Amino acid sequence: MSTIRVRSAASYWLAVPAAAWMLGVVVVPIVLLVWVSLWGGRAFSTASPLTIDNYIRFFSNQTYLKLVGTTLVHTATLMAVTGVLGYCIAYFLTMKVKSPLWRTVLFLAFIVPFWTSTLIRAIAWVPFLGVNGVINQTLMFVGATQSPIEAFLYSRTGITMAQVSLYTMMAAGPVVYMLNSIAPQLREAAMTLKAPPLTVFWRIVFPLTLPGVVIGQVLVFLNVMSDFATVATIGGNKHALLSNLVLLFYEGSQIRAASVVAVLLMVCMLIGVVVALRVVDIRRLGADR
Amino acid sequence: MDTLTAKVDDPAAPVTVRPQLDLELRGVRKRYGDFVAVDGVSLKVEKGQFVCLLGPSGCGKTTTLRCIAGLEEPDDGGILIGGKEVTRDPPWERDIAMMFQDFALFPHMTVAKQVGFGLEMLKKPKSEIASRVKHVLKSFEIASLADRKPGSLSGGQRQRVALARAMITEPRILLLDEPIGALDYSLRETVMLELKLLQQRTGISFIWVTHDQNEAFSLGDLVVVMNHARIEQQGPPEEILQRPGTAFVAGFVQGNNVFRGRVAEIADGHVRIETPVGPFFVPFTGAAPVAGGEASFSVRAELITDAPSERHGNRVTARCTAVEYFGSVRRHIFERPDGEVLKYDQFGAHAARIAIGQTAELGWQKEDCVLHGRVQR
Amino acid sequence: MTRWPRIGWKTRLSLTSWILGTVTVIFLTYQWLPIFTLGLLSFSGPTGGTTFPMNGTSFHWYQEVWRATVMNDFKPPLMRSTLLAAACSLTTIVLSVMAAQAMRGQFRGNSWFFYLMLLGIMAPGILVGFGFAIMMRILGVELSWDTTTFLVQVSWTLPFGFLTMLAVFNRFDTRVEEAALTLGASRLKTFRRITLPLVLPGVIGAGLFGFSLSYDEYARSMFTTGPDTTLPLAVMAQLDRQLTPEIYAIGTTTTLFSLIAVTLCTAGLWAMRRSTSLRRS
Repeated sequence: MSTIRVRSAASYWLAVPAAAWMLGVVVVPIVLLVWVSLWGGRAFSTASPLTIDNYIRFFSNQTYLKLVGTTLVHTATLMAVTGVLGYCIAYFLTMKVKSPLWRTVLFLAFIVPFWTSTLIRAIAWVPFLGVNGVINQTLMFVGATQSPIEAFLYSRTGITMAQVSLYTMMAAGPVVYMLNSIAPQLREAAMTLKAPPLTVFWRIVFPLTLPGVVIGQVLVFLNVMSDFATVATIGGNKHALLSNLVLLFYEGSQIRAASVVAVLLMVCMLIGVVVALRVVDIRRLGADR
Repeated sequence: MDTLTAKVDDPAAPVTVRPQLDLELRGVRKRYGDFVAVDGVSLKVEKGQFVCLLGPSGCGKTTTLRCIAGLEEPDDGGILIGGKEVTRDPPWERDIAMMFQDFALFPHMTVAKQVGFGLEMLKKPKSEIASRVKHVLKSFEIASLADRKPGSLSGGQRQRVALARAMITEPRILLLDEPIGALDYSLRETVMLELKLLQQRTGISFIWVTHDQNEAFSLGDLVVVMNHARIEQQGPPEEILQRPGTAFVAGFVQGNNVFRGRVAEIADGHVRIETPVGPFFVPFTGAAPVAGGEASFSVRAELITDAPSERHGNRVTARCTAVEYFGSVRRHIFERPDGEVLKYDQFGAHAARIAIGQTAELGWQKEDCVLHGRVQR
Repeated sequence: MTRWPRIGWKTRLSLTSWILGTVTVIFLTYQWLPIFTLGLLSFSGPTGGTTFPMNGTSFHWYQEVWRATVMNDFKPPLMRSTLLAAACSLTTIVLSVMAAQAMRGQFRGNSWFFYLMLLGIMAPGILVGFGFAIMMRILGVELSWDTTTFLVQVSWTLPFGFLTMLAVFNRFDTRVEEAALTLGASRLKTFRRITLPLVLPGVIGAGLFGFSLSYDEYARSMFTTGPDTTLPLAVMAQLDRQLTPEIYAIGTTTTLFSLIAVTLCTAGLWAMRRSTSLRRS
């Protein structure tokens, strides 16, 4: 018994406002994009005839196709880097730090930036990466290079560097959660069954944290795919990924083209999420514990 | 136990063949910061012995077990398994297996995979693993569960899987940490009997940690009572039940009445101990206690009578505050003049003679008292 | 029988700890260094640029932000962002408490409802913002920071508030509610007098979370804000024109505010955990 009766009408009505809000502001607009991407003609009109010309136009352009490839490669790079880095950090923080004080301090140092503005954190990388930036100044001071390296700001390397600092926390968070839910006795039981530490990790710990790894990868995937702000801030106008293209077309009042790219983005993400869910059944998370 | 079958490592050993011990602890010490968890524990376990580590929670019995398993590293002392020094060896290099309190089954592995894990670690060929797993599952009557995962098993089934997983590698010693504590009460008796039979059949030494004295006394060949990180007494169950060595053991084991006082006089094989409820005569063997020193002794509740005669040299008068009937015995709880509790068990088949609130004189023979010694180290 | 003393296996394993620890510390430095640099550079002298050397230390750039007019005046966007964040925060609190309470009622289709909320977190801001802008255009609704942006931002803050409240209710000991109900209190009264005070720190946490998310929101707002922009949009616009230490000053201030919000949030949740654990012991 609690303050709400199970399966009561009241519980249903309490959920209605939130559900309506999410349907109206998230679901309907996204479905709308699919419709708009099929509009023919030139005017902004709901009476536009439906056609797939917009898609044909997009896919027949080599530059755009290459951009899709670049976006996917860039995203995969970030998933790999943040995945490995995030797992190492998550493992260290949950399994290796014994003192509760240090664990709290390091945890906070790890997650607090995540709570501050992503935009500001991306901007904070600009003075680092520029031709006269901190990295170049340091390199020249140390003597590692004579003239400043221009490869940082306005480059994919710079974008990757900034995004690694922005999204590693997303890859690590779910892993921390899964690591915490592994009873220490499981590892000890494996050891008494003659498994050395590395085997314990690959046979026991890693499989049990796999759902966390996958969820973390999905989060990084979704965020990097749609992160146009960091790309714009650090890449300037020189570099664009798929999500920047949406913005570019939108600002050029090419609503149809923008919708096509948006739908494409959406399809990529859906495929990503579905593939991930085939590996891990989110709904059954924690059911076996 | 048949000591003649004990293996001897070195054929050129001295003529005095020492039967090999399965386990030997030599003054094992373990502390966490300021807290001493295990303080100089020494223990010898002979081949195929069933040993129960008994004590209240926090007494160090589980830490001792974990030291044997290698999950904890002792600060001092030595551990020998099968005559081989293993003190600094990691768990995966020791000839042991362990069963955990909540069984610690791997949630992502099927029962068959789980049971075969130990053999896989020993790098056995796949075909051998499959056939041995099949055989073991059958003998533990869990063959039908082979493809299930632990999440869908009942408590009793989990216990069997955990046992099968531990036993399949045929270790020298099986360590069990409260192995039936997580089971339903109704299951425990059966499981205890099965485990005892299994131990006798396989000849593997069992080290069983428990806080339940019924478990310890009905299963153990050797019972080790621990308190405050130390061994208070070790011996066969009968010895611990009938001749508790310390006041703690006497108080911890059910059915003892403990008296504390000072040694007043020593004469013809008895000490007279002055206690707050009067003087008592207690026999002693070996070295005589020091007159004037503190002493304690105990007497079992079923050795007391409510109709003392000439023979019953020790007497006390007390008021009955409660009567509990267990069928085989009728236990009377008395309040002694000094406020302590005195238990008197009457044979259950006899008619009740003492009512609640009644004051009675109770007595017992001098020879029924057990004088406590010092804590064994 | 005695062997050469070996190093304990637990000691040997600490090598892994050192490697992983080094990785962690390097990453933490990597993560924090830009933030600290941003803060440091915001105090550079009047002649200082957007990178080192700082040419002295001063509050010059903070004063610039304060004094600026028209083009790079950040005061009105700051005002709008704050008001918007407060509105989103309040709406989130009300709706997420309702929704989480509804989940406890296990109404039909509650798993679908849960996924709908999850979708709000998963769906990229750029798609939601763009789609919503088109929907408004079709419906003929004028875009404005206090109407359309508000609607869109709540769809972003609400799921987080909802998940926070679900977590809070999961930890919540329903036996205290049962006790109140058996003492004759009505469900509504029990909720107001027992449940709400107990989960209040969690509610405040959800509110602060919502405030911070709305205040920093960028992608959704970009498509749905009319001529009067919010702070992140104004910062981005200024960045497009020229990078100046004024942006650093704003960034530092914003980050400080976020940190204060996080601290309050953590303290609130900690206080709640403490008070409930006291109740349990």
